[in-house]
Amino acid sequence: MLQKKICMVGAFATGKTSLVAKYVHSIFSENYQTTVGVKIDKKIVNIGGNELSLILWDLYGEDDFQKLRLSYLRGSSAYLLVVDGTRHETLEKAFSLQSKVEESIGNVPFLLVINKSDLTDEWEIEIEEMDKIIERGWTVIQTSAKTGLGVEEIFQNIAEKIMER
Amino acid sequence: MNDFYQNKLAEDSPKHYQQRDETGEEKEFKELRSLLIGVEAHKLEEICQRIDDFKVTPEEISKALPEATVLRSQQDNLLGEAMISTVEEAIQGSIKKDINILSETIFPLIGPATRKSVSAALDEMVQSFNQALEHSLSPQSFKWRLEAKRTGKSFAEIILLRTLLYRVEQIFLIHKQSGLLLQHIVASQVSAQDPDLVSAMLTAIQDFVKDSFSVRQSDGLQSLEFGELTIWIQEGPSVLIAGIIRGNAPLDLRSVFQDAVEKIHFKANSLLRNFNGDTEPFESVKPYLEACLESQYKTEKTSNYNLLWSFVTGVGIIASIWTFFTIKEQLRWNAFLSKLKSEPGLVILESKKEQGKYFISGMRDPLGKDINSFLKENNFQPQEVITQWKPYISLEPQLITKRAYLQLKPPKTASLEVDENGVLYATGSAPQQWILDMRKQVVMISGISKYDDTKLDNFDVNQLQFYQNKIEESILFFSEGTSDLLPGEDVKLKAQSLNIQKILEIATSLNQELHIKIIGHTNSTGGEKRNMILSQSRAEKVFSYMTSDGIDSRIFKVIGVAASEQINPESLKNNNESNRRVSFKILLNDLQKSKSIN
Repeated sequence: MLQKKICMVGAFATGKTSLVAKYVHSIFSENYQTTVGVKIDKKIVNIGGNELSLILWDLYGEDDFQKLRLSYLRGSSAYLLVVDGTRHETLEKAFSLQSKVEESIGNVPFLLVINKSDLTDEWEIEIEEMDKIIERGWTVIQTSAKTGLGVEEIFQNIAEKIMER
Repeated sequence: MNDFYQNKLAEDSPKHYQQRDETGEEKEFKELRSLLIGVEAHKLEEICQRIDDFKVTPEEISKALPEATVLRSQQDNLLGEAMISTVEEAIQGSIKKDINILSETIFPLIGPATRKSVSAALDEMVQSFNQALEHSLSPQSFKWRLEAKRTGKSFAEIILLRTLLYRVEQIFLIHKQSGLLLQHIVASQVSAQDPDLVSAMLTAIQDFVKDSFSVRQSDGLQSLEFGELTIWIQEGPSVLIAGIIRGNAPLDLRSVFQDAVEKIHFKANSLLRNFNGDTEPFESVKPYLEACLESQYKTEKTSNYNLLWSFVTGVGIIASIWTFFTIKEQLRWNAFLSKLKSEPGLVILESKKEQGKYFISGMRDPLGKDINSFLKENNFQPQEVITQWKPYISLEPQLITKRAYLQLKPPKTASLEVDENGVLYATGSAPQQWILDMRKQVVMISGISKYDDTKLDNFDVNQLQFYQNKIEESILFFSEGTSDLLPGEDVKLKAQSLNIQKILEIATSLNQELHIKIIGHTNSTGGEKRNMILSQSRAEKVFSYMTSDGIDSRIFKVIGVAASEQINPESLKNNNESNRRVSFKILLNDLQKSKSIN
C-alpha cells in the first residue's frame, strides 16, 4: 500500500485535532501534542480503486509561546492549513505558515481548511476574502468538526492532489 | 603513470622518431642506437604501443577473474551483495525461459531443505515446550502463575519474559526523510501497536530531541529506555532501523543493526533514492531485518533448576529408600504378628508402634512359647518389643497335650495326643502301673474330655508274655540215666532262675498268681518205673536249685512224666539226648478276676 505523510498546521485552537478525531485511526492521546508537539494519526482513502494510507502529523498549533517545529514537516507529501472561521487572525497565521512551510519543504499540495462552518454567524472571514484566496489558486474547503461537514472531502481531495503529482 | 611521463615516453618512442624527417645526424644516431640496444628497441616499441593503446581485454579479465573474486570475497561481502540483483535477474530469466531446468537443478535440495526447516521448527517448539516444562514446577513458577493471572498474559509468556536476558521484539525500518514505515517485523508472541503510527512517532521524537537540545543534525537519537524496554536506533543515510528490545542487550547487537543498515542501503539504494511511499519493494530486505531479531535467555536459571531437580531427586530417593525399609519393616512386623497369633497359648489383644518401639499385650498360657525366644527366632531384639501378658489356660490341643505330658509324665515308649474334641489318645507302650495311674489322673487335666488308650500296649503284660515264652522255651538237658545236667547246662539253669525271678516280679505287679510246673522227662529207653523216678529226680534237681536261688518254693509244682511227652523226633538231632530233659510250664491266674468271681 502506498503511504504518504500529511501535515496539519494552523494557529492554536483552530480545531485541527477535533476535525479529524472521528475519522482517523489513532493510538496516541492528545497529550503528545502538548509534549512532543505532534500527534500521529492514520487515514486510509481510496483513490481510483487503490488504497492510500495517509499518515497524518497533527502539529501543535502555533501561538505566541510555541513556534511550528519545521523539522516535523520534512518528507511531507502534502499539508492542510487549518483556519478557525470565527477568528480572522488564524487566517493571517495560515498565510504566514504557508510561506514557512513552502520555504521548508517546497511546493507540495495543500488545502486551506476553514473550520467551524457550523458557526457561520460568528464568522470573521468574508466571502470576498475567500474568493481572493481561491483566485490565488488555493483550494479552500469549509468544514465542521461538530457536524462532520467536509471532513471526508479534505482527505479525498488532498489524496487526489498527491496522486496527480 | 602521470601525463608528463607518458608524454616523455611517447616522445622518445621509436614510432615517434620515425615520423620525423631523418637527417644525417639522426641517421647516425639511429645506427648508433641499433648497435647499442638492438633487439630491445623492437620490444620497447611494443611496450610503448601497448601503453598508448591501454585496454583490458576479455582474455586478460578471464585469467584474473577467479582469483580476484576469491580475494574480494575474503575482504568483505560487497561482491556477493553486488551480484544479488544480477543473480536474481538471471534466475528470473532462466525461469521464464524454461522452468524445468531450474526445477531439476534444485530438486535434490528441496527434500533436505524441507526436512531442515521442519526440524528447526520442531526444535523451536520442543525448546519452548521444554522451557515451559522446566519452569512449570520451579518455586518461582507459582509467583509467575500469579503474575500471569494478574496481568492477563499466558503463563508461557510470563516465563519467556522472566527468563530472557534480552530479546529484540520488533524491528522498524523507517524512511528517514518522511518517517514512513518501510518494513516491520515482530518476534513471535509479541503484540504490536499500529507500526505505521509508531514509526512516525519515533521519527517525531527524534526530531523533537534534535530540535530541543541543539544537537548536530547529523547526530541522531541512539536509544530510548523505558522500564525494561529499550529502543535502539541505528541510522543510515536514507533509512533507520529501530529495534524494540526487552532486557539488556549486548553492545554487539549494535553491529548487527549497523550491518543490516549497510546491507539495506546497498541492496535498495535505487529504491530509496526514488521512494514515493510504495513500501512493497522493500519486502526484499526483510531477511536483513530478521537477522536483527536476536534473543538470549538465562542459562543460569536452568542450572539452578538442575540443582533443584537434583535436590528433589535426592529427597525422592531418600523417601523411596525410607518407604522401602518402612514397608519392609512393617511387613516383617506383620509376618511376626501373624506367626505370633497362630502360636498356641498366645492371644494378642493389642499391637502398636510408638516412638520407634513395638508394643504387644495379650494373654499367655504358662505352657505357651517363650516370647523372648520367639522374638529372636524372628530376628527381633527383645528390647525392640515391649510385651505385656496376662496368664490364662489355653484349651488348644497342642497346649492340652503339653499339659498332659507335664502332668502324666509318660514313659518314653508312650506318646500322648489331644485332638480338637479334647480326646486324649495314648499310644505306644507303658507299664501297667503308669497306665493305671494315668487313668486316674487324666480326668483332672483341663481340656481333656475323654481318654483313649486302646492303642497303648501294656508294657508289663508284654514282658510277662515275653518271659513266659522264654521260660517255657528253655529246656535243660541231662546225662543218660542220671539227674546230672549235661556239661554247660548249668549256665542255662542260672539264666532260667533269673527269668523266673523276673516273671515272678512282673506277675506280682500285674496282680497275677504265678505257678510254674517243673516237668522232668526221660527218653523211651529203660523201664517205665525207673524212668518215672528218674524224671521226678531231674525235676526236683532243678526245683532244688531254684529254691536255693531264693525263689519261693510255693510257686513250683514238680512232676515227672517219664517218656510220656516225647518231643517230636524229627525236630531233634539226637532223640535220646533231647528227651533227657526238664521243661517248664507257666500258669497264670488273674487274682483280680478271681476276687471278683469270688
